[in-house]
Amino acid sequence: MKSLAALLAAGVCLASIAHATDWEVDLDMRLLSSDGQRSYLDGGTGSLRYGQNQSGLQLGRLRLALDQNIGELWSVHLDASDWGDHDKNPIDLTEAYLLFRPYPFDGLRARVKAGAFYAPISLENRGPGWESPYTLTPSALNTWIGEELRTIGLEGQIDWLGTRTGHLFDVGLTGAVYGWNEPAGVALASQGFMLDDRQTTLFGRVNPTPGLDDPHEVFHEIDGRKGVYAGIEARFLDRLVVRALRYDNRSDPTQQDRATHTFAWLTTFNSAGARLESANGWTGIAQWLQGETTISPHHLRFGYPFDAKFLLISKQIGRHTFSARYDRFEVLTNFVTATGDNYAQYGHAWTIAYLFEPNTHWRFALEWLDVSTESALREAILPSAEVSRERKIEASFRYALGSEVR
Amino acid sequence: MRPSARRNTGFIREIDPRAAFPAGIPWLRRGYRLATTLLVAALLTASVGAPAAVPSASVTITVHGADGRPVPGAVITVRSLAADARPSAPIKAVMDQINRAFDPDLLIIPVGSSVDFPNSDTVSHQIYSFSAAKRFTLPLYRGNPNPPVRFDQAGIVTLGCNIHDEMVGYLVVTDAQYFGRTDATGSWTADIARGKYRVSVWHPRMNDDANDLERELTVSAGDRVTHELRLTKPLRPAPLSPHPHSWDGY
Repeated sequence: MKSLAALLAAGVCLASIAHATDWEVDLDMRLLSSDGQRSYLDGGTGSLRYGQNQSGLQLGRLRLALDQNIGELWSVHLDASDWGDHDKNPIDLTEAYLLFRPYPFDGLRARVKAGAFYAPISLENRGPGWESPYTLTPSALNTWIGEELRTIGLEGQIDWLGTRTGHLFDVGLTGAVYGWNEPAGVALASQGFMLDDRQTTLFGRVNPTPGLDDPHEVFHEIDGRKGVYAGIEARFLDRLVVRALRYDNRSDPTQQDRATHTFAWLTTFNSAGARLESANGWTGIAQWLQGETTISPHHLRFGYPFDAKFLLISKQIGRHTFSARYDRFEVLTNFVTATGDNYAQYGHAWTIAYLFEPNTHWRFALEWLDVSTESALREAILPSAEVSRERKIEASFRYALGSEVR
Repeated sequence: MRPSARRNTGFIREIDPRAAFPAGIPWLRRGYRLATTLLVAALLTASVGAPAAVPSASVTITVHGADGRPVPGAVITVRSLAADARPSAPIKAVMDQINRAFDPDLLIIPVGSSVDFPNSDTVSHQIYSFSAAKRFTLPLYRGNPNPPVRFDQAGIVTLGCNIHDEMVGYLVVTDAQYFGRTDATGSWTADIARGKYRVSVWHPRMNDDANDLERELTVSAGDRVTHELRLTKPLRPAPLSPHPHSWDGY
């Protein structure tokens, strides 16, 4: 509650003093019933944010966002959250970056970001605070991005704004150089894909293998090598967005952090997706991610090829949004595990959600989620529970306040 | 202003008292509204009076799409071919920014006109145009700190916000003597002095080349002329309704 008071006080101060600062404070409370196992976020092997032991009232998220312009073309963006759990810092940043946005010229527009931010991969996390306007819980694919990926470095983007010059489409290219992400992949290899809306904070810790490891910082530099990604986005009017991105963190998989013994995971993947919207409120999103994460201790190679995809259909009727999503995901191994398997995890999930925004300040949401997974780690810890079906029904009450709330 | 302007709903919204003064000064807003009303009345009275001495005809222009349906919101300009023809007198117009959208999203203004771009939102906007008819930028702002922007060259000016991509607005800067937008039935009517004219049609979502749709029109006094223009290509789809919260930051 200290963090709640601090955030609210910060918001009130900002309201009074920072005329040029755009700000927003969101409080999202949850009421839920879950039959899931103890969550992987809570030291268990469950796939959901809240296991059966956490049914009841929970703090979903307390968020403070600030956009401060510096001169004409520069701005600073800060996004801090309290997730109501036992992370090292009660409030921590999910994103913090400096943005340079020169004026478009002759249909070309450039953007440069420096700091910590999300790579342009997700097609469902398009709302403030990287939230989805369709469901409470993002897909398995985007849950992993929120959990283990953050670009901490420099990203450049150039867009050809065809729709501003009488054409039907825009095209954008993105490229980035980044560091502090060598642990990315360890959670995927240990537990597999999860389904939860908690985003790892910049200085936060996760515990990928309960009982085997201590919690460690996800955004951490181990080998001194810089990663890269490059992507392309095409937009047909405001109806269709198509994205593709190649990601390679260029880690040296033989390296290990001397203090924490965390490995440098070499993680590479391709992602692609499309979002189609119609004038009568229908939205369809398909997204796919395929790659591999690898470590090579003592001249051995442990590779974990992974593949995740989902299809989401949503219908907006006025201020009501109804959505359904199907997720499918798997993490394989290039070796036989201690339990005699050649997979780390595979599974599928159904999500059905209803969101209602009576005005710009309030949002009410109700979500039902049913996920079935088969996990090698779970089998190693609890041999009787290798296959698991977990379900939850969750209500959310969110209030948003600030200059960025229309 | 010519009588045709009375049918130009864009123009009626151009002089918008909300934009000129902040909400916290109601008596000033009321005073400004009264002054604006009188100014509009004076302008319209003057414009009704001016061409009345010249024999004219009632001209109705209808625009149909490639599918035969009427096209509302199409911009019609009627430009005299006479050597001594002069464009309409410049005006002062207002294009506000409300709920992260230009309001109105399209204005038709005579060459030499000035437009105010106040920002009535609680968030800052940064307006730009890289159109050939007028390149300009308005630095990041709220309220109405900037002087009006003057438009001296005829053409289409597409406006955007460097912060909010979904914001798109249009200014049609014209040297025509008569202009307006088609109504829900795809029609526009004006009393036009006799003479020879070139009629043009443009729509923000038009796929046709506007040059291909230009037609000559001869107006004789006392006529009731009906002229039909038909697009050959379907219109592009209308923009989606704005989302309830600010989306697409990622």
